[in-house]
Amino acid sequence: MAILFALLIGVLTAIGVYLSLRAQTFPVVMGLTLLSYAVNLFLFGTGRLASNAAAVIEPHATYTDPLPQALVLTAIVIAFAMTAFVIVLALKTRAELGSDHVDGAADQPAPPTAAHKNTSC
Amino acid sequence: MALPWLALPVFLPLFSAILLIALRPLGITLARAISGTSVSILLICVVYFTASGLGDTAQVYPMGNWPAPFGIVWVYDRLSGLMLLLTALLAMVSFLYTIATDEDKKGAHFHALFQAQLFGLNGAFLTGDVFNLFVFFEVLLIASYGLMLHGGGAARSRAGLHYIVINLMGSTIFLFAVGALYGVLGTLNLADLALKISQAPASTYGLIAAASFLLFVVFAIKAAAFPLYLWLPGTYSETAAPVAALFAIMTKVGLYALLRVHGTLFNEHTAPFDLINLIDPWMRLLGLVTLIMATFGVMAAINLRRQVAYLVLASVGTLMIALGINTTDALTGGLYYWIHTTLMTAGFFLLAGQIVRTRGDQIGQTRPPMPHALLAGSLFMMYAIGLAGLPPLTGFFGKTMILFAALASPLWVPIYATVLLSSVLMVVALARSGNALFYRVDHAPLPTELAPSPMPLGNSKLSWVAVALPLSLVFLMVIASKPLTQWLTLTSAQIQDTPRYIQRVLHPSRTEPVPNFAPHPAHVPEAS
Amino acid sequence: MSSLIAIVLLPFFGAPFVAWLGARWRPAAAGVAVLITLACLLLLGIAAWGADLSHAQVVSFSWIPLIGLDFAFRLDGLSLLFSGIILIIGLLIVIYAQYYLATEDSTARFFASLMLFMGAMLGIVLSENLIQLVIFWELTSLSSFLLISFWQHRQEARTGARMALTLTGLGGLALLGGVLLLGHVVGSYNLSVVLNAGEVVKASPLYLPILILILLGVFTKSAQFPFHFWLPNAMAAPTPVSAYLHSATMVKAGIFLLARFFPLLAGTEAWVILVGGAGLITFLLGAYTALFKHDLKGLLAYSTLSHLGLITLLMGFGTPLALVAGLFHLINHATFKASLFMVAGIVDHETGTRDMRRLGGLARHMPRTTLLAIIAASAMAGVPLLNGFLSKEMFFTEALDVSAGWGLPLLVTLGAVFSVAYSIRFIHDTFFGEPSPDLPTHIHEPPLMMRIPVMILVVACLAVGLAPALLVGGILNLSVSAALNAPAPIFSLALWHGFNTPLIMSMLAMFGGLVVYLARRPLTRWHEQSLGRLNAKTPYNFVLRALQLGSETLTHAFDQGRLQPMVFWTLTTTLAAGLIGFLHFSAAPLFGSDPQATPFDGITALGIIIMMGLALSIAFIHAQRLIALLVLSVIGLGVSLLFVRYSAPDLALTQLSVEVVTLILMLLALRYLPQTSPPDRAKRRRLDAFLASLIGAGAATLTYAMMSRDFASIAGYFLENSLSQGGGHNVVNVILVDFRGYDTFGEISVLALAALGIYALLQGIKLPPLTPPPIATARLAHPMLLQTASQLLLPMTLLFGAYILLRGHNAPGGGFIAGLIVASAILLQLITYGLPADGRALSAKAHGAIALGLLLALGTGLASIVLGYPFLTSTFTHIRLPLIGDVEVASAMMFDFGVFFVVMGTAILMLNRIIHLQAEEPHTVTTKEPH
Repeated sequence: MAILFALLIGVLTAIGVYLSLRAQTFPVVMGLTLLSYAVNLFLFGTGRLASNAAAVIEPHATYTDPLPQALVLTAIVIAFAMTAFVIVLALKTRAELGSDHVDGAADQPAPPTAAHKNTSC
Repeated sequence: MALPWLALPVFLPLFSAILLIALRPLGITLARAISGTSVSILLICVVYFTASGLGDTAQVYPMGNWPAPFGIVWVYDRLSGLMLLLTALLAMVSFLYTIATDEDKKGAHFHALFQAQLFGLNGAFLTGDVFNLFVFFEVLLIASYGLMLHGGGAARSRAGLHYIVINLMGSTIFLFAVGALYGVLGTLNLADLALKISQAPASTYGLIAAASFLLFVVFAIKAAAFPLYLWLPGTYSETAAPVAALFAIMTKVGLYALLRVHGTLFNEHTAPFDLINLIDPWMRLLGLVTLIMATFGVMAAINLRRQVAYLVLASVGTLMIALGINTTDALTGGLYYWIHTTLMTAGFFLLAGQIVRTRGDQIGQTRPPMPHALLAGSLFMMYAIGLAGLPPLTGFFGKTMILFAALASPLWVPIYATVLLSSVLMVVALARSGNALFYRVDHAPLPTELAPSPMPLGNSKLSWVAVALPLSLVFLMVIASKPLTQWLTLTSAQIQDTPRYIQRVLHPSRTEPVPNFAPHPAHVPEAS
Repeated sequence: MSSLIAIVLLPFFGAPFVAWLGARWRPAAAGVAVLITLACLLLLGIAAWGADLSHAQVVSFSWIPLIGLDFAFRLDGLSLLFSGIILIIGLLIVIYAQYYLATEDSTARFFASLMLFMGAMLGIVLSENLIQLVIFWELTSLSSFLLISFWQHRQEARTGARMALTLTGLGGLALLGGVLLLGHVVGSYNLSVVLNAGEVVKASPLYLPILILILLGVFTKSAQFPFHFWLPNAMAAPTPVSAYLHSATMVKAGIFLLARFFPLLAGTEAWVILVGGAGLITFLLGAYTALFKHDLKGLLAYSTLSHLGLITLLMGFGTPLALVAGLFHLINHATFKASLFMVAGIVDHETGTRDMRRLGGLARHMPRTTLLAIIAASAMAGVPLLNGFLSKEMFFTEALDVSAGWGLPLLVTLGAVFSVAYSIRFIHDTFFGEPSPDLPTHIHEPPLMMRIPVMILVVACLAVGLAPALLVGGILNLSVSAALNAPAPIFSLALWHGFNTPLIMSMLAMFGGLVVYLARRPLTRWHEQSLGRLNAKTPYNFVLRALQLGSETLTHAFDQGRLQPMVFWTLTTTLAAGLIGFLHFSAAPLFGSDPQATPFDGITALGIIIMMGLALSIAFIHAQRLIALLVLSVIGLGVSLLFVRYSAPDLALTQLSVEVVTLILMLLALRYLPQTSPPDRAKRRRLDAFLASLIGAGAATLTYAMMSRDFASIAGYFLENSLSQGGGHNVVNVILVDFRGYDTFGEISVLALAALGIYALLQGIKLPPLTPPPIATARLAHPMLLQTASQLLLPMTLLFGAYILLRGHNAPGGGFIAGLIVASAILLQLITYGLPADGRALSAKAHGAIALGLLLALGTGLASIVLGYPFLTSTFTHIRLPLIGDVEVASAMMFDFGVFFVVMGTAILMLNRIIHLQAEEPHTVTTKEPH
């Protein structure tokens, strides 16, 4: 099972990476969401996979490792906050730059560095 | 017992942030009062901590009274103390400049985010738990996102988007790394991780190394090392001056984490032989490349704030070299340079803010002389000298100490060549900028320089005080170099003394070092 | 000896005072400067008087013990000689400059910079510690930058200043490197120790690097070939500066260092070749070029080069007697060259030009100045009865001694020939012959105070020339023995050494010089056709340009300010990092073999495969954003199912509720964004896909490498103590609110901050939606139905929320989930009843909720501190509640309430802000209400 689980994480990561390399904000946000799915599953996996072993104390029960679950919970919430922020930022950049391209425009003007030469004194 | 007071530097800013949220409608004046009070108390508190030698032996504070490694612990030692102090200093400088120039009026929640930023930073500097480090990285990052974008504008929003996306990837990598470490070693507490690594079977080294290198990437993104620094020039040059000044600590967060985490996990006393100083060669190498690229960037910049941003990168490169050499001498020199560059870059960003406010950002364009030309010019020259590493300012002493220590490294020849030549090139570039900014004025000669002229907006005097403050601290450093370096030598020794760290965290009751570790060679210098 | 410290520091602390006072009352600047200089002279006298200078007097305080940097000064013959020159000539210069500077020049700035320079210069020559010496060395470069660029409005002043700074700065840092190596070899940076380690240094393998680095410092400072060209360019400085820095003192710093390090480095073959070679070339080059300069200061600059070269050459000989000759000539050069510069300044001051093609016949207008000029120039040419003659004779003697053949003596004489020629030209073309008609006619002598300094120096030339042994014999002896760190050799300073070869060489030089001068016109023509075209500046500029261009190209190529390359680099670096990690230990097996591996389960496997398929499909349909988004949330659903499947109900619930809210958020956002993405170039897609698959493979490998291994964790502790210590059955929740409550604390702060950030972000943003609303505020088919539904729904959801919240500690649930549930209920209510025109009221409430929540959490934590326990220490008790039954009320639950409020407030604040995005009041766009 672990192999499939690992493969799933691999696929989610790959697609997440692919989307985060796109040129528009929305795909990038989706990519980051996929990446957070992947990493949450990964964190979850660090406790290994156990069936019917929820870490709720009952008489004579087997328990899975509860700590990774707690970590994943924290991670989920933080990922949620970040996703919310970045999607709203996407709206803001579109409002400010008039485009949803990650650089404001496809032919984004080069940064000031090489814009003009000033070797004279 | 001083320990409960450890909560102050972390929770006071948070409390002020809460107040600021709750009392939001009551206006900016109250907000400034709250924020200012908070920063002042914070500063006093951390100065007291440092002065009272609280961190001379690592203080351990168990959150929720759960012992390490099960609960989260704070570890306050000299290094964390130093970081808290630097943060508080920058906060004060940045706050003064903010209220002097009304930056906080340009959008909502500036002070709440500002305080939250301090909350996140101080939390990150105190924690002894890698997952908690992640959490507080997120706190300080989300706050920094808000601050960075404060005020808005097209260029700033674009740079902000880049900054945030890159850091979100960083956070993901962070979780992968921490998860992998937990999945192999089954613990999250830093000291416990070091202990577990010392006992780990060789078959797991690969996994441990992979995780640690991922962690290295995460911290290198924060520290802005080549090739991961691309987010920095845009972010630092597009955000508001006081925010950029506060962000002078941000790159240090990454370096701090490298020093703290990798320094503890792979130290020469407890780590298995194959894992000792795992990343140091890469630190040195990337440090060199970063320094070279940054120097070219400084030369290439035709826009003042961008040039300062590249100066930040140069200092990151130099620091990584020092940390990569990783001897007590190198760390001492590194930490000295660390304090220097944090203060100086912060001040230089504020100065750049002043100049941009009155003259404009383009170095190339000739303009009429700006108000306070002589004042601004002299400050510019001193900041330039300091950051280029020329005497008589701290940059020179820091670099000299690092070069001195570098002779112990096999790479000393390239290190010497790079560090010295980069200084020359930065001097050339900064001389060109200063020359263009202050000498090539429309109508020459300059009017009687010392005659003051009004600043267009904000409280001129206070803003200049804020600009000059870091510089005065740096001058103090020069004079007090002897006690300072001695203090820093002890700090470096403490950083390298992992067995003691582990013992303090995992067996607070025990006073003698944990057995089955070779007693560490004492790094304590003769003079103190 | 502590007066030494005062000597060095006085000018530094005096400088700001000079600036301050001078800015208020012009004459004060010079006055204070004079006082400072006199005070320093006095202190020097006191220090030198009592002391026995046959061995060095040292005062030292430790500065940075770590690197052996001391704040230490030494007074010995050599430093006495140099500080004497610096102060005496400095005094004359200050007086001269006061009358030289025009009224529009800021004397405050000038004299302040001059004082800084003087202090730095004194620091160099008085330093005992080598690192400290480097510090002052660099300070001279910096202060000279200020002085050369004094007339900032002049292009050539700015260029010259920067060129000087670049080269001397470079040299200074090279020197630092050399000094650090030297100290490394010797084990100390203090001259008292270092000077006795000559054998060690020469034997060390680092000798050559040390020598080269230090010589880089020397040659740049003393303008030796190939770094000589900055000196002529520095002539754009006011003449007093040229006289002081560029003839008398700063350019001598290099020579000083040669003398200082004489016992350490001199005498080896490398030394002779490098030092002697550079000296000889500079000597000839300078003398030759000087003749063809039409500008008085240009001529003097090149003549200075040639004399510096002469002294360097003498040092290069490496013999004690050569050292004597060198230092002697250094003194003489300082006297006659400074006076000649001042003369040039006077001429410029009175006639308004320094061009010898226009000048002439000034002797008629200013006879006294002329006389002074003639004497000084003859000293420069080496005419008998003047000091220049004596040192030149000694120079010839040394040249003859060291050289086997006739080559060197001939070259040396040739140099002398040219120096005679340009000396004649300096005098004849300026003071005699015919002036050009456009020269002003009413020329007169300069003010007396401008002439007196010249007079003093010229008298010195004569006096030393007539009674050398009496006047300079003593100090010369002292300084030489100090430089040698051994007793000085026997030398005789006398007017007449009999009729010998050196005398013949001198006479040859005199005669030849006259001939060359007479033949100058054809020579000049030839020169300007040929050698005159070469210019050392060209390679310098070329290098700088190349560097500039290179750095711009490189920087722009790497830092394009575009996101995609940033992401690309981040990802590739990550991939590389992971690989490096594994490759470090490629010997060990990549995967382990966990004994209790999770059993295979068909249905779950199918589910996982479906999820993979969906994920893959997104890569192809992501351009259709709405569909892609829905697929995405289906995957999210799958994730929560996986959580359920593998015993993580809490996660499942959380994931589910987060999924819902995120979906709503994204749907709302999508209204304001294009519905489709433009297609990318196929090449780019392929590249990205390749990288993505590599990284995916990496992630999968990492996962399996980790999961396929057995491991022991600290989990047991939580399972044991959750109930007994934490008072909760649901271990995950107990960890969240108790064991690691502090994490949760950070987590809710992140939530709250995200909400604040979003609120601030969208402030004043007005964004027209691109599409009709998909769900929110949409016209619904049967509003009545939904309204009644939600009327029932609201209280139920609230109750359910409360239930989830309370049971959280023992069964899956908790503040977070409850918060989201309630928030969505409230929003649903709002949506169905139609939204208020602007969301101010609601967002205010949300702010309140967030603040309250954080305060509850913080309060819970701090309460335990008040009770004397660490932050967030929990306690609990049992109570009975209707419906829910027996529950432990843990203090941690108060904390969970905090979580609840924060989450609710956050969700509402975010969504409300977006829902009202296009409903923003216009006035908020212009006037952002400040909080």
